[in-house]
Amino acid sequence: MITLRNVSKRFGKRVAVANLNLDIPRGGIFGLLGHNGAGKSTTIGMVLGQVTPDAGSVQIGGIDVFDDRQRALAGVGAIFEAPAFCEYLSGWRNLRILCEYSAPFDPGRAREVVELVGLTGRIDDRVATYSHGMRQRLALAQALLPRPELLILDEPSEGLDPEGIHEMRNLILRLNREWGLTILFSSHLLAEVQQLCSDLAVMREGELLFAGNWRELDADRQWVKIRADRQADAERGLQSAGLVDLFEYDGRGRLATGVAVPQLAAWLVSNSFAVEALHPIERTLEDFYLETIHNVRDAAQK
Amino acid sequence: MFATQLKNELWKLAARKRTHIGFAAFVLVQLTILLLLQLPKAKRAFAQLLTSNGYLPGDYYAGLTLGLLIIVFTISLLGALYVALVGGDVVAKEVEDGGMRMILSRPISRLRLLTIKWLACAIYTFVLMLFLGVTSLLAGTIYRHGLGNLFVFVPHEGIFSAFDTGEGLYRYCQSVLVLGIVTQIITAVAFMFSCFKVKPAAATILTLSVMFVDFVLRNIPYFASFQKYFVSYHTACWVRTYNDVIPWWSIGESLAYLTGIGATCWIIGAMVFCARDFKS
Repeated sequence: MITLRNVSKRFGKRVAVANLNLDIPRGGIFGLLGHNGAGKSTTIGMVLGQVTPDAGSVQIGGIDVFDDRQRALAGVGAIFEAPAFCEYLSGWRNLRILCEYSAPFDPGRAREVVELVGLTGRIDDRVATYSHGMRQRLALAQALLPRPELLILDEPSEGLDPEGIHEMRNLILRLNREWGLTILFSSHLLAEVQQLCSDLAVMREGELLFAGNWRELDADRQWVKIRADRQADAERGLQSAGLVDLFEYDGRGRLATGVAVPQLAAWLVSNSFAVEALHPIERTLEDFYLETIHNVRDAAQK
Repeated sequence: MFATQLKNELWKLAARKRTHIGFAAFVLVQLTILLLLQLPKAKRAFAQLLTSNGYLPGDYYAGLTLGLLIIVFTISLLGALYVALVGGDVVAKEVEDGGMRMILSRPISRLRLLTIKWLACAIYTFVLMLFLGVTSLLAGTIYRHGLGNLFVFVPHEGIFSAFDTGEGLYRYCQSVLVLGIVTQIITAVAFMFSCFKVKPAAATILTLSVMFVDFVLRNIPYFASFQKYFVSYHTACWVRTYNDVIPWWSIGESLAYLTGIGATCWIIGAMVFCARDFKS
């Protein structure tokens, strides 16, 4: 659906995106992760034709965004972290104005999306009276008006309360499953991303560190958490004995292929370590993200 | 579709609180000027000017003359500032608050978007000048219970004219229409600055600075022979409609000059707007 090839962008001396190659498949939910300044918003800006890359090409559905922006964006809707509207106009009027920048306004369709985002009762009120969550929903409504195939969400949950985050997540899932939209979104909220998608890209300082399905990456490997006296010695010993591949923070380790938890317990006891805790753990996206971002993973796995 | 987009842009401009406050402020300024013109000293000076030239103050101190005086002072005090504010705001404000990103995520070309905004701004400025023309005349007419005759004295343009009611009203309407066209240059300069990566206030201040410097330089005797190169010389062409014989050729020349400057501003603004990156 979206293809970025050798895309680079600098702002002055700062490299915002460096030689980015990324393919975002049709029909799924794709997450874009990274800390502030990692290049996520610049990447989204380039996909939408708002930021011109210094090099490379960006295509949506096979159409180059910078050769034929209007055709490339014909099936795209987007929302940003702080949606801005004409405060003094009603939500309905705002929808109408935004829609008519590119297509005739269809009131029936507008009612449909307003109902979907749950703004039916307030759509005729002035936007100035809307909460942040309502503005975000109005932004989503405007993005959905032109019947997009691709929805781009830049930090959609930013600034929302827990209930708002929950609603936004359900809405995103619904749009993907029921409406069949391809969704690209960036977020800092790892728990959110974990619940929404498996396919993601991790960026750091403009570079792509990982792209793909993070759950499949370690599907055949088990992770454990170990707490023992002389923790550092225990970790070193287990790695030397070839039982554990690597240790992360807080005693979290990845077992070597074919190794089971009882073997670890046996080794620790036989080497006179007092074991306080030893149990398998489920890898979270946060674990994966921190590991990726801190370059622990070896190059081949990247 | 273009007409709909233009209508929407005008709607956005017209519905703003700033528009309502601005228009109300103009009326307030007009009433204040009307009050100040009633001060004995002002009245005396006016009467003296007329009588020393063989006119009866009672015939000319009337609705049309007051209307013209009010519009001249209103434009000088508030007009340029307000027009620069609107022009400087229209792109820069939308970029600043993030609305532009939302618009540009839609399949609309930047050039088309800018054209719509420019036209909306131009229409808004023109309507504002018509509004000022009507309200100034209304204020003067209501206060003096009639239009009366029109007396115009503009020393630096060499204009000293007196018209009866019919001719005076005709000249007044013509001058307001030309004023509506010449003020477009302030909109154009402000709009151009608004397309750069600057705050809305900076676009307004830059515009006013350019206009002020132009005006000051034009009035320095050293530059007397370069008068026709200054924008303020040409913007003053609207008062030339009060010459006994209207110098349409000269007015046309000024309007053409201003159109050229405006077009240059448009091209520069459009180039900057089309080339720049929009990012939060």
